[in-house]
Amino acid sequence: MESKEGELVSPTMPVRAVTQSRFRTKRRDGEARWKLLLLGVIGVILLVWEAVVTWLELIPAVFLPPPSAVGPAFVELVLRDDFWSAFAYSLQNLAIGVVFAVVVGVVVGLAVGWFPVLRFTVAPFLWLFYSTPKVALAPLIILILGLGNESKIALVFLLAVFPILLNTMEGALTVNRSLVNAGRVFGANGVSLGVKVLIPGTLPFSLIGIQRGAALGFTGAVLGEFLGGAGGLGHLLERATFDFKMDEAIAIVIVMVIIANLTLTLIGILRRRFAPWYDDKTTVSAG
Amino acid sequence: MSSLFAVQAGSRGSKGLAGFIAGLSPRGRALLIAAEIVILLVIWQVLVGSLELVNAVFFPPPLDVVDGLGDLIAAGTLGQAAASSAQSWLTGYGMAVLIAVPLGLLMGTSVPVDRVFGPIAWTLYAAPAVAYAPLTKAWFGFGAGPVVFLVVISAVFPIMLNLAAGIRTTSPSLLRAARVYGASRGEIYRKILLPSTVPFLFAGLRQGAVLATIGMVVAEITGSTVGMGAVIIRSANTYNTDQSFAAIALIVLWSISMTQIVSLVERIVAPWNRKKVSS
Repeated sequence: MESKEGELVSPTMPVRAVTQSRFRTKRRDGEARWKLLLLGVIGVILLVWEAVVTWLELIPAVFLPPPSAVGPAFVELVLRDDFWSAFAYSLQNLAIGVVFAVVVGVVVGLAVGWFPVLRFTVAPFLWLFYSTPKVALAPLIILILGLGNESKIALVFLLAVFPILLNTMEGALTVNRSLVNAGRVFGANGVSLGVKVLIPGTLPFSLIGIQRGAALGFTGAVLGEFLGGAGGLGHLLERATFDFKMDEAIAIVIVMVIIANLTLTLIGILRRRFAPWYDDKTTVSAG
Repeated sequence: MSSLFAVQAGSRGSKGLAGFIAGLSPRGRALLIAAEIVILLVIWQVLVGSLELVNAVFFPPPLDVVDGLGDLIAAGTLGQAAASSAQSWLTGYGMAVLIAVPLGLLMGTSVPVDRVFGPIAWTLYAAPAVAYAPLTKAWFGFGAGPVVFLVVISAVFPIMLNLAAGIRTTSPSLLRAARVYGASRGEIYRKILLPSTVPFLFAGLRQGAVLATIGMVVAEITGSTVGMGAVIIRSANTYNTDQSFAAIALIVLWSISMTQIVSLVERIVAPWNRKKVSS
């Protein structure tokens, strides 16, 4: 049990929050200085990139446009209408798929975690599906559901549901038995036991699962758009590279990086808001 | 999967079927799971193959999938595709380890590197590797190049970030004790930092292996002409979904084998970190 936990909880967002006891003595002004240094390093990286491509011409600008070309391409991109409709299309599929995945994942996860019979009979298959690279199913899903939204939503759901489900399951398993017993002593049974003890105890795990599920779901949405159909950021990106507009392509990739990071940050904020009692350290145990 | 075989403290006293299962030995439980899988495959075969409740093109029954595997082998494309995929995977994963371990060590031990390089690494890690797929096709063409690139980019961050985090969780009292007894910098690395990081390193290696497989498949199904992903695409496009399922099954087998191998290496390299499986 303990062995699997750290790994499960971690895969995409594992171990960031480990309290850095050695660095704790650093004060606020120290933080600000690190941020400046970070900005400086990013500046140097951009400068080197520019130098290598534009001034030294080590890499042809057709393949890797310099920042001075990507920047204007980015601005041009966000001023276009078709960019925003593609943006909305992708995010809509992502949101619908993730919402389905959260509902199914949390409900099934709680049930499997709570009832030993289900855990011993169903859980092995869930683990099997969890470790299956489900992206391999993408061509079949397109075949079955066609090139429209349905196939993309299905892909998002399929990729997002298992991390949510298994984290919820593991979370339900770790709910402290004495809390459950105490709840029973105070007369909580059935639904109220679930609402007052099981769900709060499981929530932090579910939220980590949701964080990871949303990240994978985004992969599903983009992959679905690569494989067919005519909507979404993935399609826009595919077309840009096909026309060899690499500056535009890199700008779209940057947009995707921003979306992914914003989504993760948002869910991270939710996690701190709704599960502030919960110490990240407990899920970081590896091995 | 080992968690499945661990006896849960809470379920020991329960009665009925759950109690019976909880009372089984790990071997007995493995047998039970194997039996379940067989039953499920039989049900699948009956529902789709004999009763034809679902279109067999969408969910080809197990026996058809076996036939599909036979067809793939007979066509002679399978060996080449599997070899290409395995080669890309191993090359990419090897490169990822070579890049990630030194950088992770550096991030874990040096505050400036962690503070400056860390945020950049986390940002890139959060982004879906699939986003780079079209760019890599423009850069490296339609062969194995994009596959290797996506494997590297998928596997490098989990390994690196886990390693760095592992070093930071090293107990400060161990470090202080080592300093009190006059350990040199090299000795602190060798005798304290590395051993206490091993569980994290291997957790990262396992995650990296899983993500590397995803990266490989993504690169191969988005326009590469080589590897197992291309086999899936080709067979799905010609409605030979039995062959697609056979290819997917092989990829699943590969993914599970690689993570098992990492775990095996962990048990050999770090026997003190043996998983706690109560039996």
